Amino acid sequence: MSISEELLEKLKDNGIDFFVSVPCKLTSELIVLLEKDNDIVYTPVTREEEGVGIVAGAYLTGKKPCVVMQNSGLGNSVNAICSLLNYYKIPIVFVVSHRGLSLEKVDAQKPMGEITKKLFEDMDVLVYDFKNSEEIDKIDGAIAKAYQDEKSVALLMPHEFWER
Amino acid sequence: MTYRRYEAIKDIMEAVGDEFIICNMGTPCKELFEIKDRAKNFYMLGSLGLVSSIGLGLAMSKPDKEFIVIDGDGSILMNLGSLVTIANLASKNLKIIIIDNGSYGSTGFQKTFTNYSYGKTDLCDLSKSAGIKNSFFVDGTTKGDVSCKVKELLAKEELSVLVVRTKEGQPKTKLISLSADEIKNRFLNEVKTNN
Repeated sequence: MSISEELLEKLKDNGIDFFVSVPCKLTSELIVLLEKDNDIVYTPVTREEEGVGIVAGAYLTGKKPCVVMQNSGLGNSVNAICSLLNYYKIPIVFVVSHRGLSLEKVDAQKPMGEITKKLFEDMDVLVYDFKNSEEIDKIDGAIAKAYQDEKSVALLMPHEFWER
Repeated sequence: MTYRRYEAIKDIMEAVGDEFIICNMGTPCKELFEIKDRAKNFYMLGSLGLVSSIGLGLAMSKPDKEFIVIDGDGSILMNLGSLVTIANLASKNLKIIIIDNGSYGSTGFQKTFTNYSYGKTDLCDLSKSAGIKNSFFVDGTTKGDVSCKVKELLAKEELSVLVVRTKEGQPKTKLISLSADEIKNRFLNEVKTNN
């Protein structure tokens, strides 16, 4: 099983049933899997902030939604995370490909990569770092805590997680 | 009579039956709250630009229920990409009404680029170009019958967008006396239990 297959299975095992995505090279296989999966509702979106709006709507029907995105898209979503998700206590799972760290080849990714974790923390979003794919089981506790606390959770997954 | 957003919302509410409504933040929400509060109204209190996206998420998740979004010109201009996503998903149970008063009403009526005296952008054309072929326009300021047009759209099982032209201006309205939690929980409850 590839890491993307394992990740999707893990998310579904935790009840996640609604996905939106903005692409990243690292999540390209996951996105193909989402497109093919008939158990879940999925759509690509034009921008991360738009995705936050859509998943908030999905949550209001009882779905357990997830945004798949690259960390570079966090900037355009800050207000939506604060004044929509946090304000209404709508817990959303963010699967984030964390670019701009040690294995990054694109220099322009580094400034955003360095502040991503802090930015999520400043927004009172729960943050879980994944050193590599062996830590995948941390997802269970992360999602359980998010729903228990009614807080969104960011699963930060760098190159090492995706390229095993 | 001056036809403003307030009058447009009144006309919309005359046409609405038991559909769910997701309303744009700021004054539009306060006006809807005053005109007709109901548990099936979701009042957005922040995040300008996202109301149509929230509506899309609802419509995708509950295909057996009907959802109406009350959006605005300033708001949709902030999230034009949403029209593209909405067009391509084509949820039959989603109707989007964009009240176009050519200005940012909640912040003091600064003009937007849809304002006839100021800009060139036509939201109905934009919506068609995004791929929503059922995009319509009604001018409330020249006695266009908004209520009748809304009824017409609600009768059809297809995605549609209605741009309603109004004048600027708004009456004084009171604050919404519900917390975010109350708005969310009573709405969630209606979506889950109502048939």
